Amino acid sequence: MTRRRIILIVIILGSWEAVCRFNIVVPLLLASPSEIIGALIQSWPEYLVALRFTVAEIAVALAVAWSLGIVTGTAAGMIPFLGAAIGPILVSLFAVPLITWYPLFMVWFGIGMTSKIVYAVVSGFFPIAINTMNGVRGLDHRYFLFGQAIGCSRRQVIFRILLPMAMPSIVSGLRIGTALIVIAVIVAEMLASLGGIGYVISYYRSIYATPHVYLGILFALACALLANWGLGILERRFMHWRELQIGDR
Amino acid sequence: MKPLIVLIQASVVVLLIGAWELCDRVGAFDPSILPAPSAVAVALWSLLHSTVFIDDASDTIVRVISAFVIGAPIALATGFLMGENITVGRSLSPVFNLVLAVPQSIFLPIFALVLGLGFTEKLIFGITHVFFVVAISAMAAVSEVPHGQVVLARSFGAGKFRIYRSIYLPAMAPQIMTGLRLGLIFDIVGILLAEMYASRSGLGVLLLRWGEAYDVDKLMAATVLISVATIFVNEIMRIWEGRVGRWRHALEDR
Amino acid sequence: MTSARPIVIETRGLGKIFSIDRAPIIALQDISFTVQEGGFVSLVGPSGCGKSTLLQMLAGLVPSTAGQVLVDGLILREPAPDKISVMFQDATLLPWKRVAENIEFPLEIGGMNAADRRDRAAAMLSLVGLTEFAARYPHELSGGMRQRISIARALAPDPRILLMDEPFGALDEQTRIKMGHELLRIWSRTGKTIFFITHSLTEALFLSDVVLVMSHRPGKIVDVIVAGLPRPRTYDIIGSAEFGAARNRIWKLISQDDDTDASEGMASL
Repeated sequence: MTRRRIILIVIILGSWEAVCRFNIVVPLLLASPSEIIGALIQSWPEYLVALRFTVAEIAVALAVAWSLGIVTGTAAGMIPFLGAAIGPILVSLFAVPLITWYPLFMVWFGIGMTSKIVYAVVSGFFPIAINTMNGVRGLDHRYFLFGQAIGCSRRQVIFRILLPMAMPSIVSGLRIGTALIVIAVIVAEMLASLGGIGYVISYYRSIYATPHVYLGILFALACALLANWGLGILERRFMHWRELQIGDR
Repeated sequence: MKPLIVLIQASVVVLLIGAWELCDRVGAFDPSILPAPSAVAVALWSLLHSTVFIDDASDTIVRVISAFVIGAPIALATGFLMGENITVGRSLSPVFNLVLAVPQSIFLPIFALVLGLGFTEKLIFGITHVFFVVAISAMAAVSEVPHGQVVLARSFGAGKFRIYRSIYLPAMAPQIMTGLRLGLIFDIVGILLAEMYASRSGLGVLLLRWGEAYDVDKLMAATVLISVATIFVNEIMRIWEGRVGRWRHALEDR
Repeated sequence: MTSARPIVIETRGLGKIFSIDRAPIIALQDISFTVQEGGFVSLVGPSGCGKSTLLQMLAGLVPSTAGQVLVDGLILREPAPDKISVMFQDATLLPWKRVAENIEFPLEIGGMNAADRRDRAAAMLSLVGLTEFAARYPHELSGGMRQRISIARALAPDPRILLMDEPFGALDEQTRIKMGHELLRIWSRTGKTIFFITHSLTEALFLSDVVLVMSHRPGKIVDVIVAGLPRPRTYDIIGSAEFGAARNRIWKLISQDDDTDASEGMASL
């Protein structure tokens, strides 16, 4: 299967190169693989710096969004009153096009890393909190009873029983949230920034350097796909027992 | 419990707004960075009466709706075809899933490269946002159709149209409604993003311009307005979704 | 049944009222009974009559609104994991832990060290006859096996009392019968005191010395049946005259209970 794939990739790259060489598509719109590689060789230090900037923002945003989201979701899931109060609000707010808040964030936090981190955290927070909340809420009460019956303290019930049981839901939320965070950071950088991959892409677009634009987009894609892949691994680790939940026979 | 919760939610909101107003009056917040709710309300009022704003808002709305009206039917048809026809489904769905997994917004600069983002480019950008989500939902919806019932209906001699209307439609409706709702949301995000990135008109441009000019009153007013409007649209579609879901339960009757 | 063994569990005028919104629900009313050390007592009653609530109160998980639960003569106010183990209809095994780890879990919470835990878990596994499955995950096992692991886990802290809430309710009839035999074997080997809730009159009479019959809500004990059937029990005892008589007695008690609901809840196997 992999040999087949390699051949397929070669064919695609080949035809891509050909399409550009023969000017079938306007060179402004499409850059050939060779041109993109050329751009890489020419400007890789710049891209490296940009990547560091972007990755730093993503890392901070992930740390904040994950913790806030999981804590909020757990609290809302465990305390019925809280869940009933803020649950619907979280779900409704999820629909808001957060990009429209970015200009405000720029006014409040400048155009450096902070505004992007805030924007990304807000983007990633909702799916994480919502999924965590649902995961915790859905737990059969008897697991609690079991925990208490064997003498678990409140803390032990939460960390040793509840959270591990809710993990599949939590991880789905993390997966969605992380994807949204990566996109948010890069898109925000494209709009206005001091650095980062999005910024580099926009800069090269403004001077119509198509191969550099494509190169930047490939890096951005790589970030997104890498994050997704990483979380896929996390998800699989927690999924192997997913088939058995209370209610199964 | 329910009315009590709503009451508490409402009072919390009122309290927060009140505290916010107070902070601004007292000077704890800088009004040029974080304007008072009263200033925002005033700005909102003047915006709703300003032709410039209305023009730009209509531009945005027109783009959103056009992208949806063009993209959704094609996506529904494609998704349906993918669901019904196994070969089409198997060849196209990995591609579609890949596209959905990849953030479409990142490709905006490529769209913009051509000739800036004219109406057509923005429209296409919006359509791509609508298309894939709706298509995948339609395809998934087809798997919700109870094939046992279809076979049964055919054995009674029911015509194709009849089968589509009374079995396929109710079974597929909930998934499709969800897909359409998500498609619209993505559409709105896509159009606004495109406008912010490179446009001469539309709400996105206004927001960016006001941000750069530190015109916070108008910025906040418009941002809140857009947020509220989107929430409103989303909630309405969710109510429809809920209603449509109820038919399905009646249909299944288990 | 005649030897004066010490009383291990006693309830005195136990009652429970749930106040949900406006209409308070009287789940249990004036429950008084005793259980002797080493005895096997079953509780039968229609669905929704409060059996689970009663069991949770016996475990110290739910506080009473009237009366008390006494264990070894002391009022029970909170769970006593060193004395009492609880088992539910669903095995409530932790799906991400292996079988052996699941059995060790209560011991871990109780502060036992790792080596002792492992030994104890191995002993329990051999007691229920599932030693080869120590490294498997719960979802790889059948329903009956999971319940056996659940029993192993419940016995691991060596409690004197085992409270079981319809543990075999989700199993098919064949497995249920087998599990019943298993349970009796383990009971005679370990001498624990067992309090067993079930829907099935047959199961109750087959397994226990004493059957408490509960009415439907508000749950009260309407009778205590001591059928006096000989031990060790074999399955053909179910065909015997005494068995039939006892079962009819219980059935009458339950169906007398005003509503048709009451009799609908019973599975007369």
